[in-house]
Amino acid sequence: MEHQAEICADILKIIRDRSKIGQLIGAEEILSELERRGIPESEGLDRETCLETLLRQVLNENPDLREICDRNGLAYYHSVVSLSETYARILVWKSEDPLWMIAEVVRENSRTYPRPISLDSLKNPPFGLTGDEIVECLHAMAYHKEYQDIAQTITSAGTQFLYSADYLDSDHAHLLAEWLDVGQANNP
Amino acid sequence: MAKYGGWAGKVLRVDLSNRKISTEDTVEQYKDYLGGTGIGYKVIWDEVQPGTKPYDPDNKIVFGVGPLAGTGAPCNGRTAITSLWPTCWPKPLVASGHMGGHFAAELKYAGYDGIIIQGKADRPVWLSIIDGKVEIRDARQLWGQGIRRTTVEINQQMGPEASVAAIGQAGENLVPMSVVINSYSHSAGGVGGVMGSKNLKAIGVRGTGSVRIAGNKEAWEKLIKLHLSLLGANNQHVVPNSPQPWSEHYNPVSRWVASAGRSWGAAAPSIETGACEPQNLNRIAYRTNNAAYFLGEKAWQYTVRGNGCTACPIRCQTMLKVPAVSTKYGIPEIGQNTCVGLLFGRGFFKSFPDGPKGQTAIEACMVGMHLADDLGIWDNYGQLQRDFQALYNKGIFSRKVAEKEFKGYSWDKYEKGDPRFLFELLPRIANREGELATALGLGTGYLLERWDIPEQEWLENHELLYWKQGHPKHHSNEDAGQCGVIINTQYNRDAQCHSHSNFTRNGLPIEVQKRLATEIWGSPDAVDAVAAFAPMNNYKAKMAKWSLLRKELHDSLSLCNWMGPWVASPLRERDYRGEDSIESLLYSLATGDKKSRQELDQVAERIFLLHRALTIRDMGTKDMRASHDTIPDWVFIDPKDKAAFAKGTVRMDREDIELAMDLYYAEMGWDKQTGSPTRDTYQRFGLQAVAAELTKRGLLP
Amino acid sequence: MSSSHSFSRRAFLLMTGGMIVAVSTSAARGAKEAPLIIMDQATGLVIADSTKCVGCQRCELACTEFNDGKACPTMARIKIGRNLNFGPKGPYAGQRDAQGNWGNGLIVQDLCKQCPHPVPCANACPNDAIIVSPSQNSRVVDPDKCTGCKMCQRACPWDMMSFDPDTDKATKCFLCQGSPKCVEACPSGAISYVAWRDLTHTVPPRLAPTAVVSPGKAQTCIDCHQK
Repeated sequence: MEHQAEICADILKIIRDRSKIGQLIGAEEILSELERRGIPESEGLDRETCLETLLRQVLNENPDLREICDRNGLAYYHSVVSLSETYARILVWKSEDPLWMIAEVVRENSRTYPRPISLDSLKNPPFGLTGDEIVECLHAMAYHKEYQDIAQTITSAGTQFLYSADYLDSDHAHLLAEWLDVGQANNP
Repeated sequence: MAKYGGWAGKVLRVDLSNRKISTEDTVEQYKDYLGGTGIGYKVIWDEVQPGTKPYDPDNKIVFGVGPLAGTGAPCNGRTAITSLWPTCWPKPLVASGHMGGHFAAELKYAGYDGIIIQGKADRPVWLSIIDGKVEIRDARQLWGQGIRRTTVEINQQMGPEASVAAIGQAGENLVPMSVVINSYSHSAGGVGGVMGSKNLKAIGVRGTGSVRIAGNKEAWEKLIKLHLSLLGANNQHVVPNSPQPWSEHYNPVSRWVASAGRSWGAAAPSIETGACEPQNLNRIAYRTNNAAYFLGEKAWQYTVRGNGCTACPIRCQTMLKVPAVSTKYGIPEIGQNTCVGLLFGRGFFKSFPDGPKGQTAIEACMVGMHLADDLGIWDNYGQLQRDFQALYNKGIFSRKVAEKEFKGYSWDKYEKGDPRFLFELLPRIANREGELATALGLGTGYLLERWDIPEQEWLENHELLYWKQGHPKHHSNEDAGQCGVIINTQYNRDAQCHSHSNFTRNGLPIEVQKRLATEIWGSPDAVDAVAAFAPMNNYKAKMAKWSLLRKELHDSLSLCNWMGPWVASPLRERDYRGEDSIESLLYSLATGDKKSRQELDQVAERIFLLHRALTIRDMGTKDMRASHDTIPDWVFIDPKDKAAFAKGTVRMDREDIELAMDLYYAEMGWDKQTGSPTRDTYQRFGLQAVAAELTKRGLLP
Repeated sequence: MSSSHSFSRRAFLLMTGGMIVAVSTSAARGAKEAPLIIMDQATGLVIADSTKCVGCQRCELACTEFNDGKACPTMARIKIGRNLNFGPKGPYAGQRDAQGNWGNGLIVQDLCKQCPHPVPCANACPNDAIIVSPSQNSRVVDPDKCTGCKMCQRACPWDMMSFDPDTDKATKCFLCQGSPKCVEACPSGAISYVAWRDLTHTVPPRLAPTAVVSPGKAQTCIDCHQK
């Protein structure tokens, strides 16, 4: 292919620029970007070649790039220089389903740190849910068998926290919530 | 040219009794003790006899800084102040306080690594140090004034760049719960009364000299940049407090609070912090906003900027501008401090009408800072406020204080959470007016004794956080299990050690912490997830030893133990590793005295050993395990009676803690039964003379 | 216009002062007329935002440690310490309008303006020790020529001259080969390195200059400026 290296450089820049502003980019959008610049046409390329071959090449050659797929297999791309894998996961979950997002964020926190997370934190970026949305999601989760592990605890300051019982037992979650909400500030 | 860089070269000695001023050669006399607390403990050991009391003229007070003070090494603006401690109960022992600000650097530029104050002036004086010219000057006009006026008047005489450390009315009145303050808001707890007892109102320093960097300047620049690149936010928290695009990890209680949309609202015009990626070293100062951290989102609109010590990019103090307080309380709109100093006013009140993070709480903080930092009152890491609440709630005030005096306080204001109450309480504490204020000013130990309250009541109480000898815990089992407990047994005041808690609170996932722990202390088992503690092992003892030694090292080098050590970093490209040798790298290059990490840690161990020896000598017992290294009962109690090592409790087990002390003493090379260093250990660190002295007194195991 | 000056005057000036004679019209914004530029204008300038200064003094430390191998804020070529506590007016102005840590928090960073001709510090120096550096045309002290008389300090309206406490010689901001250390060191991004512009009419002076130009040098001024 004539201008393969240049097109690859373009694709790389498109992905990295998007990551710099805190966003993922899907294959279709990459193609649209290229089309806007008139590239596939001028090279006489078809969509498949662009996406399959060139994109694959760019991913292989640049270790900072990652591919992440949602539950339907739709792929997104980002550079970990500006956009971490954790952040990418949150963005993907957000695009799918707020219930799924809440549950996965709660599970990841309960498993990894480990710690419960406050309901209020789900209102902040990048989650961006409203209080009503959170309440609705929690109601829905209570009846959905996929979310039976998601549990709540309340601190002495009245703050509600969520945790996954798959990874944290209730006493541990309760104490950690109290420690995070009240304890650490009382022990500066 | 002096053989070594770093050190200024002279320690100043001022005898206030005979008004003699002399100097000593720092390197000749104190090189093996570095500076800071090292010089402090050495002077107290050599020159202050056991049985001396804190306010005796024979007590000495040592202002010590280290070879790194005044340089561009990040976080070096600390002065350690060592003396016999007025609030240490029942018997005063050696301890140190620490103040930030600009005093340490200015002292170095004036040509001094420390000031030893001894004796007592026959009338109020202040000490003027202008480069090589040192004078004892008349302070009768300053006596009775607050710290603020004292400082401004001295600056008018010495010029605006002089750094002034002054006591307020509390120190003058020999209130044990008193401080010395420099640079507006940087206090060292516990020592105000010692200065007051010597009739020393203030020390003003002006230095126009320099601190030489022995090493190659390009190498120094590279090292400084390495250190800067490893910095997190305050307390070396290395992840942001919410998910940011740049970070893999985050922690809602991280002190790294910067993000898009948050701004210094009272800057003119306001300045957005933005996300502050760790690679951007020109945005380190925006990562931390402790006013917002402790007082809530509302504090952002009142934030003018960050503030802090010389050479520190973190700016852990927040300068707040709250216009309402000037009309409501008649105090300046602007106040600044951090942590417990910031919260001084809020901590007294059980509640506020608009909650702990509302407007009233902020106003209480502003009033508290304004009063406490001028009167010069100490909070003993918040114990003053906790005691106050408990004594009020239990009805002890109304029982121990005469009715007329008790009714003289506006308790309705107190119950309503009205900050005006502080105007009644704090000046009385500083001036020892009345039984209530006098008792509070003594410190917890002497207060309990005066009012016939058994210490046991405090030792059982989970909420008071009291540990021993009149002081509270400072990051113990709730932060770091057995390691935290060990650390809290070792000092004669609250431990003031953050080496361990900076690590356990850094916000990284437990698996990452365990990986780093393996590299630093030998095994992932050195750390547990909070409230999922496992039984004691050798690695936790190693971590405790490391924590203590690094704290002494920082206090002697002049590095900030509220920031260091720097063994974790925010950098994914380093797998979140920091650099465990950063202290020795900085020391070696600045002084030209090349020491490896292990070698410098050994110097720290010598300093820590001297503290231990002093404590043993002045307690008159070698049985430290039973008499000194005690642990309050509440550590072994769980409110829900969960067993130790169950998930969801921070309760420790008595036998396990006995093992913890065994392993710690073994790690230190101390006698297992008594917890006393052995002759061999003293010898290993060149402290034969210390061992000999203790042998004479029958205090060697 | 300036192009009317003859070669012989140029040669004369080169002989006496060794200063670069550049004849051009002034492009400086705000200049009232087109001055003859004896010293080439600096190409860069360090400027600072006082609302962002957090009072850490890392700029002063970087300036002296990385250039001189010692930490010496007294000698720093960017000046913070003197405004840090109370602002430029010091603790004598009453506390109402105070700046600095004891006032409203504002810390003014004092910086060398890399003055266009006539350069006060250079003109005041009896030894012509302040010269134009080939790097960024910054105005720099030649330590071999400096005798530490401090006339330059008297001349600078912003009191920007520094003196090395170990040698007593003058030093001043020389823009660090186009990569100023202070800019790099600032943790709040308060300091920037920008294209040169004339701030001599914008920034209020800190003191009243009291230096005089030597008769020899005054003659060259007269020669150049004679119609």
